[in-house]
Amino acid sequence: MSETSLALPPIGAPLLSLKNVCKSYGEKRAVHNLSLEIPRGSIYGFLGPNGAGKTTTIRSIMNIILPDSGEITLAGRPLDLSMRDRIGYLPEERGLYRKMKCVDQLVYLARLKSVPRAVARTRAREWLSRLGLSEYGDRKVDVLSKGMQQKIQFAATFISEPDLVILDEVFSGLDPLNIELLRDMIVEQKQRGTTIVFSTHMLAEAERICDAICLIEGGEVILDGSLPKVRADFPLRSVRAAWEGELQPPSDLPGVIHSELHEGSWRLTLHEGADPLALLPRLQAVGVLTLYSANRPSLNEIFLAAVARRRQEVAA
Amino acid sequence: MSKVLTVVGREYLERVRSKSFLIGTVLGPAMMAMFIVLPILVADRGGEDQRTIAVIDQSVGVRGALSDVLVEDGRKSLSLEPVAVGPGGLDAAIAEMKTMIVDGTVHSGMVVPADFVETGQVSFYNKSVSSLVVRDEVLKPALNRVLREERFARAQVPDSLFNYLSAHTEWSSIAVTAEGGEEKQDESVSIAMAFVLIMIIYIMVLIYGNHTLTAVIEEKSSRMVEIMLASISPGEMMLGKVLGIGLAGLTQFAIWASAFLLVSQRGVSVGGLTLDVGFLTPVILVSFVMFFLLGFFLYSTIYAGVGAMCNTVQDSQQFHMPLMMGLIIPMMLLSMVLRSPNAPLATALSLVPLFSPVLMFMRVCVETPPLWQIGLSWVLMGVSIWLAARAAGKLFRVGILMNGQAPTWATLGRALRS
Repeated sequence: MSETSLALPPIGAPLLSLKNVCKSYGEKRAVHNLSLEIPRGSIYGFLGPNGAGKTTTIRSIMNIILPDSGEITLAGRPLDLSMRDRIGYLPEERGLYRKMKCVDQLVYLARLKSVPRAVARTRAREWLSRLGLSEYGDRKVDVLSKGMQQKIQFAATFISEPDLVILDEVFSGLDPLNIELLRDMIVEQKQRGTTIVFSTHMLAEAERICDAICLIEGGEVILDGSLPKVRADFPLRSVRAAWEGELQPPSDLPGVIHSELHEGSWRLTLHEGADPLALLPRLQAVGVLTLYSANRPSLNEIFLAAVARRRQEVAA
Repeated sequence: MSKVLTVVGREYLERVRSKSFLIGTVLGPAMMAMFIVLPILVADRGGEDQRTIAVIDQSVGVRGALSDVLVEDGRKSLSLEPVAVGPGGLDAAIAEMKTMIVDGTVHSGMVVPADFVETGQVSFYNKSVSSLVVRDEVLKPALNRVLREERFARAQVPDSLFNYLSAHTEWSSIAVTAEGGEEKQDESVSIAMAFVLIMIIYIMVLIYGNHTLTAVIEEKSSRMVEIMLASISPGEMMLGKVLGIGLAGLTQFAIWASAFLLVSQRGVSVGGLTLDVGFLTPVILVSFVMFFLLGFFLYSTIYAGVGAMCNTVQDSQQFHMPLMMGLIIPMMLLSMVLRSPNAPLATALSLVPLFSPVLMFMRVCVETPPLWQIGLSWVLMGVSIWLAARAAGKLFRVGILMNGQAPTWATLGRALRS
């Protein structure tokens, strides 16, 4: 077995590219004309609500389903079977062979990525000790807690030291401690030069670790680029405010396009170019102001705005 | 290819190391022995009831002669109970005998009239169909002999003439070998041996076919399938699984075969049945290995395809019956093939890939068919395996997307056509 090696592009240049990928299930259009470029060395957030087409796109990349049309290239070469050895994949639907020893499991999955046996053995032991699971190496997966199993799956994804890793809803079903642990490890892998595609429907989670994102909805890209660029495209501001006696903001505030009560304070979304400071006197006029802050928009807000903008474009 | 070997290795080791493999290897021959030997033993011995037959004998000495013949034939389980004709006459005696039959003190009864030797007439009283078996298989031949001997005696035929007249033909069978040589033959041994070998193919195909089905479903129930397919093509994965599980089956069989050969240098004999290894001519031996392997992999691959569409073992149950049919139908056709192994119908059916492991192999055992037919059946089975493997890979890809819903024949057909 020899490890396939790729001539990787420089950091920041596109590593994985999708061009006009389409996939339908019968009448239902799951992914439509989807094009995106994932820069090498980044954590790339692949975002969208449930059912937006994220998993279909990822499965197309992994050749688990065949797209109806479109082109997928890795480091400029059309993706073929042998190149999948350079891609790690942790699907949303994931498990382990219950009757297999942890270390054997890791070695097996590494071998399927063409890692030589001896190397796989060494790396498996290293990963187990890094995850604090050394003493479980020769135990069967059966005896592990769910959190431990998630860690093993995580190790199995990275054990082949892939150039690109795709993580689909990796934090779902994990407790905050384990989320923290895995998040640190994802960042660590990025620092080692691994490109990571981080697919999730939890935009707040993506906002914390992603360098670049792509928002999809209804099988189409509605927004993509580096996080600073995306924010520059949506110079929305939001203002949070709260009053003593749980008062409400007036409905005719200038520049406010949306207001909602969120976790005990009012969140006011301003349209482009509106000055949050201009609002302050009006808010103080309502009553005793206990909270005022002007924030850059969250990914959630950007997503909602992008969807609204998109719909206007389609309607026009 | 090396990835296929990795899968083969895992599937093989997982099975061979499991406790159920060990248990199966030890208990397998015991089960086989039970299936084959037990019916023979039962039929031979313990099966017979102790039966009493009431006899009203108005002749002179027929009952005594019948009793002697029965003892001579080794019918120890059958005894005769004389019922005397008292002052009430024959009718009263018959009435008494009927009461005995009804209340179960005797199994059945017979009346031998005074002129039995002249007329050969005898009446048989019974209340159950099973007594007719006793009548036809035991009493009738015995009484025939009594009658014959009595008539010879009355005609004052000397013993030497009697023996000369009542002689039977004696046959010895000589099998002509391919080289024109001669060989002593015992056809009951050949057929028994053929049945044993077919049963081995049949049982191994069923057990390990099912293993393959479960193993493929395991990929889904353990939710490994997407992780696997990110590394290996579905076809390669299927191939690895079928080969790995197949090798485990062969290992088990090899253990059994060598144990059998060690225990019995020539063969074993149980009850009336002899298993003679000498029956295994090179053609039969090669055919056995080929039909075993091809049948095994054909069914395993088909089972794998079914497993690919199912999320749970329960889902797969509706597909079991049609699959079993592929093995049951040839079993039902066996006696036809046995009687006329080279008839056009037998030839045609034995070439059907799903039937070949049983039917063509039976033909090889009883009367070696033209070699091209054996070869053709191997080619057809090989092609079927290839087609089934492709279909299984395809079904697997489709099956992944069927989360939760149980497959139907319609979805199966659609998936294969797509």
